[in-house]
Amino acid sequence: MTSGPSRAGSLRIGIDTGGTFTDVVAFDEASGALLTTKTPSTPHDPAEGFLAGIDKILAASGAARDAIAAVSHGTTVATNQLLEGHVGRLGFITNTGYESVLEIARQSVPDGYGNSYFWVKPDRIVPRDRVKGVGGRMTWTGDELRPFDVDEARTAAQWFREQGIDTLGVCFLHSYANPAHEQAMRAILAEEHPDAVVSISSEVLREYREYERSMTTLVDAAVKPKVAAYVRRIAHSLEEYADGGVPFYVMKSNGGVLSATEVVNQPISTVLSGPAAGALGAALIASVAGFDRVLTCDGGGTSTDVSVVIDGEPTLTTEGSVGAYPSKIPMIDVVTVGAGGGSIAWLSPEGTLKVGPQSAGADPGPLCYATGGTDVTITDAHVVLGRIPPHLLGGEIPLDVDAARKGIEALAGRLGMSVEETATGVLEISAWNQANALRQITVKRGLDVRDFTLTTFGGSGSLLLCRLMDVLGIPTVLVPPNPGNVSAFGLLTVDVKNDYVQTAVRLATDLDAREVEDLYGGLAERASLALEAEGFAPADRRFVRTADLRYFGQAFEVRVPVPEGPLDAGALDEVAAAFHAEHRTLYGYDFAGDDSQQVEWVNLRVSGIGPLRRPTIRRHEREASASPSRPATPSSRRPVCFDAEQGYEDSGVYDRATLLPGEEVRGPAVIEEYGSTVPIHPGFVARIDTYLNVIVTREDEEK
Amino acid sequence: MLVEIVQGSLASIEHEVETAIARTSRSPMIRDAHDFRAGIHDRLLRKLTGRSYSALVHPVARDFPLAEMRPGDVFFHNDVYRSEGGIGHLPDLCVTVPVFAGGRVVAFVQAFGHHDDIGGAVPGSMPSAATSVYEEGLMVPPIRLWDAGTPNRAALAIMTRNSRMPESLAADLDAECSACLMGARRLGELFERYGVEAVEACFDAIIDRTTQTYQREILAKIPVGSWVWEDYAEHDGVDEPMLHTQRITLTRTGPEDPGGERVILDFAGTSPQAKGPINHCGDYSDGVFLKKWLAPILRNLADTPERMAELDVNEGVVPLIEMRFPPKGTLLTPEFPAPTNARTFVILRLLGVLAGVLAKAVDGRMPADQETIRYTGVYGIDLAGRPYLMREVLGGGSGGRYYADGEDTIHVVPDSRNLPTEFTESRFPFVVESLSVAVDSGGPGKFRGGLGYEKQLRMLADAHFMSIADRSILACWGVNGGLAGRPFAVVVDPGGPDERTVDALADAEPVRAGEVIRIRTTGGGGWGDPLERDPALVVRDVRWAKVSSDGARDDYGVVLTGSGDELAYDAGATAALRADRIAERGESEVFFDRGPGYATLADGATHAAVDVR
Repeated sequence: MTSGPSRAGSLRIGIDTGGTFTDVVAFDEASGALLTTKTPSTPHDPAEGFLAGIDKILAASGAARDAIAAVSHGTTVATNQLLEGHVGRLGFITNTGYESVLEIARQSVPDGYGNSYFWVKPDRIVPRDRVKGVGGRMTWTGDELRPFDVDEARTAAQWFREQGIDTLGVCFLHSYANPAHEQAMRAILAEEHPDAVVSISSEVLREYREYERSMTTLVDAAVKPKVAAYVRRIAHSLEEYADGGVPFYVMKSNGGVLSATEVVNQPISTVLSGPAAGALGAALIASVAGFDRVLTCDGGGTSTDVSVVIDGEPTLTTEGSVGAYPSKIPMIDVVTVGAGGGSIAWLSPEGTLKVGPQSAGADPGPLCYATGGTDVTITDAHVVLGRIPPHLLGGEIPLDVDAARKGIEALAGRLGMSVEETATGVLEISAWNQANALRQITVKRGLDVRDFTLTTFGGSGSLLLCRLMDVLGIPTVLVPPNPGNVSAFGLLTVDVKNDYVQTAVRLATDLDAREVEDLYGGLAERASLALEAEGFAPADRRFVRTADLRYFGQAFEVRVPVPEGPLDAGALDEVAAAFHAEHRTLYGYDFAGDDSQQVEWVNLRVSGIGPLRRPTIRRHEREASASPSRPATPSSRRPVCFDAEQGYEDSGVYDRATLLPGEEVRGPAVIEEYGSTVPIHPGFVARIDTYLNVIVTREDEEK
Repeated sequence: MLVEIVQGSLASIEHEVETAIARTSRSPMIRDAHDFRAGIHDRLLRKLTGRSYSALVHPVARDFPLAEMRPGDVFFHNDVYRSEGGIGHLPDLCVTVPVFAGGRVVAFVQAFGHHDDIGGAVPGSMPSAATSVYEEGLMVPPIRLWDAGTPNRAALAIMTRNSRMPESLAADLDAECSACLMGARRLGELFERYGVEAVEACFDAIIDRTTQTYQREILAKIPVGSWVWEDYAEHDGVDEPMLHTQRITLTRTGPEDPGGERVILDFAGTSPQAKGPINHCGDYSDGVFLKKWLAPILRNLADTPERMAELDVNEGVVPLIEMRFPPKGTLLTPEFPAPTNARTFVILRLLGVLAGVLAKAVDGRMPADQETIRYTGVYGIDLAGRPYLMREVLGGGSGGRYYADGEDTIHVVPDSRNLPTEFTESRFPFVVESLSVAVDSGGPGKFRGGLGYEKQLRMLADAHFMSIADRSILACWGVNGGLAGRPFAVVVDPGGPDERTVDALADAEPVRAGEVIRIRTTGGGGWGDPLERDPALVVRDVRWAKVSSDGARDDYGVVLTGSGDELAYDAGATAALRADRIAERGESEVFFDRGPGYATLADGATHAAVDVR
């Protein structure tokens, strides 16, 4: 496979900036070598930690700056801005008569029946006095019902300039069918308010449903200044870093990367940059190890992200949200639960034990960090039970086990239980929270969680894997080497990818194959131009076509692939057949062969893909199959409690760095490495495969 | 520990069942208005999940012994008078799936939803002038719709044959059955894993906890004593508009009461059953449906809005509420075959009557009134010559609270959605010229009521407009000095040569191509004296087009200065105007404001006897 934009160098670097550490992975395309390192993050100026990370990995590899072929980056700038709710002073321009669209939203009140009596609506993303209506109207077919009112548009643009409101979203009705009025509005803004940052809905999301498209457009506008400034700053630094600059890619929520110069035009596409990279990295590792249906479980300090990857492709959703803000652009379908190392155990007013979603985070942190934390956390329960060592990061940071024990004792006293019962109980609830998230993400797609291999990574992702296997009936869990670096690695495993969508609602019986072909042609042309700009030769550009279909009368669509090649009536029937089948998979029934139930086409989609070379994961020289499994040698032993009734059991502690392919570890045991720990419960066995993954199965299911 | 796990699993299963139904359904009432509910019940027929109301398993268990049920069975019913009060009108079709463990029934997963059409006198099966249930559609008492995994094709054929929308009826039933069967499998796995005894002990604990929570956090807030209040539906579709009274006498008993500490709701004084379809069968199974339907109102007594949202309503509320019904023949105790399709008005109103009587008991610390369900729509032949029926449930403003203004355009049913213009215009022959909030519709108050909708449709083809709405004469009441919101109103061709007001109960109002239909929905009632509202908030409301300049002066006594971006108020003049107003109006003992419409139905009376504090 070719690399897209070519450079002399052969080193591709992935950089994942987290809250505490910046993880760096380098892949040498020439030698196939893979290197990892981490440096402290520098929140005041992330670019600083970013460049320090590059320096460090170059030093480790002994390579010069001009050896760098490209840098891929996962950023949380947009994510954090949205999670913190800092959207700034936005303005919104829409059709006359729709100025209250944000206030009205979809009229729905979250959660329970009757909550409408006490619900207090959160502040709107743009208050009503910063919304301006402009005359002009399109129909759903894209015909002009009333001409665009240029004078009103000019007045609105001038007003925003005078008010100093310079971040603007524009959404006109039916602009997905005809963007002319939005483009006219942008042209007038460029004349009257040239400093304004503008997002127009037909470029952000060419899909029907005006409220959702308005929100998505405004979120795009809101994150644009910060994301653009951040990306440009790093891009600028990279230009000076090596002669001729360094190609710089940013990870998108859809599981692809895009050049920095283009990503600033669609900043909303980066909102799930981090989780997407983690899922893809884990997926590639699992696939090389021989597993193609994978659940990923990325556990951090405050939360755990889970996702589904089938045949290397993450499942995508267009119904995601970040913080309080819905985003309809395609993003990897991640379910996040408030269950991480810092999740707090607490007693509800009913006197029952709950865990999370509140987190002590890293500051004040768990009790055992002895940095001012006052609440019992998941980490405290683990350390009291001996499941994690009494220190962090290979011994760099000691943990205060007594403080954790005292906290759990106090909680146990209020519950009338023993310390061990309380600690295992806290962990059991946390495991169920994670299990419900894993179930949610599979069941809603009609998938059976038991058919999947779970891949656990991140600092806290592997701590409860044996309980998850039990609760969910999952047969196998894979823990990759360097589980803290999976996200950075994932950045190197993906292609350049852009998504294009066009709503065109037609009954299948009214469908004209030529019209569909033309619409797809238009989308593919846009995708092709973008890939050309990214440096991909025509022969290397790939296009993946999909369509969203539904039964006439449904309001949700099911996405199915559309075959390559010219479209004729037969090809369209094939798509409809795929839709019936997928509907059955998802929901348990379909109406194939029932002519009274008409199929309707809703959205046409094209993803333009520019392939990049993926790192090869090398086999360890010592083949696992060369000899039968043999027990590994523990580096030490300590008492660990896996079950309150059994109490503390003498358990072997293994240093992961010394484990070799073919070796196995039987529970009760603990496998420790820098930044991560894998407790192996009694009845489970961990085997090291030829790629140095830890593969956990149940003893009673051993062949 | 296990209790948390079981409770979490129940919530997650209920959520999955609802998600599956929502994503595949066709009836706009289910798909968009989210007028459907899943629920999980134990073998003692107790409701275990608590985020929403649901129908009852009682009628199924009454007619089919649990011992004779088999895995793969699906039970079906919609017969109001055979539903033990769990089904209010015939379009609500209910499927019930037993859950098995160890070879016996251990629980039920149930879903019921409001379908497009189940036959009867008019499209949509909600004839506003019906005088018997026979005009409202097909009645199906509890039947075994699937027998050990095999659908009863004959029953399905009869049902779809009786519907004007057979395809969507068949599809939606499939969606509901599949989703409940999936939920039943998941729940069965939980029993298999932990054992029936352990899981059932958790069910007991979940229910007991709710009882204790309500005792501690809700009942404790109501002083021992007795209060009475009433409110009204304004028309039944048959008789001329009149006051159809719903009355609650609330008695909070003390610890010394032989029946224990509880709330007694006595409906004596409720009007005779209506000729038209606003009756609700409330008095079956000791009112167990109504208890769970009304209990969410009690949550407003909790300490904070955040805490209110956390409280579940499951079977645990039932022991704390005793209901006393008048003899047969009232709005809440109708006799077969009295029509019930618009019973929504009555049970929605009861939420408000309970809120009002509680407001009297707790010195006004309850929200003012809201009204969020009404059906409006157009139907006819579209530009391509196909028949269509567009119906929408538009919400309204919520009432002011002692801690916040009411909210605009909300809905009491969670996730009930309005219809996007970009969707409706692509399917139906009209242009939605504006989708806005109705200025001044929120009841004035220290905490203003939320605003209703103002939606304007311009028809592209001749059509008929339909509306099933209450609160078009009477308004959502304000409390504790707060004033009523504006009522529901529909005008065709506003400002045009043929301007006309449409009755709120209309089955077939003709509208010509080119004419605009303007729908305004109810604003919520205000809370507290509007003359005490911060004038800066009134200025903001004017800038946000929620209150007009006239409204600022007339309703709030605020003297505005400037305009546009310079809008402000004159503090001195405002204080003087407010002082004059206070002197003018004098002292009043009246605790509720029902708006000007009340006098028209009450022989000129300004308030009811029960409205005095």
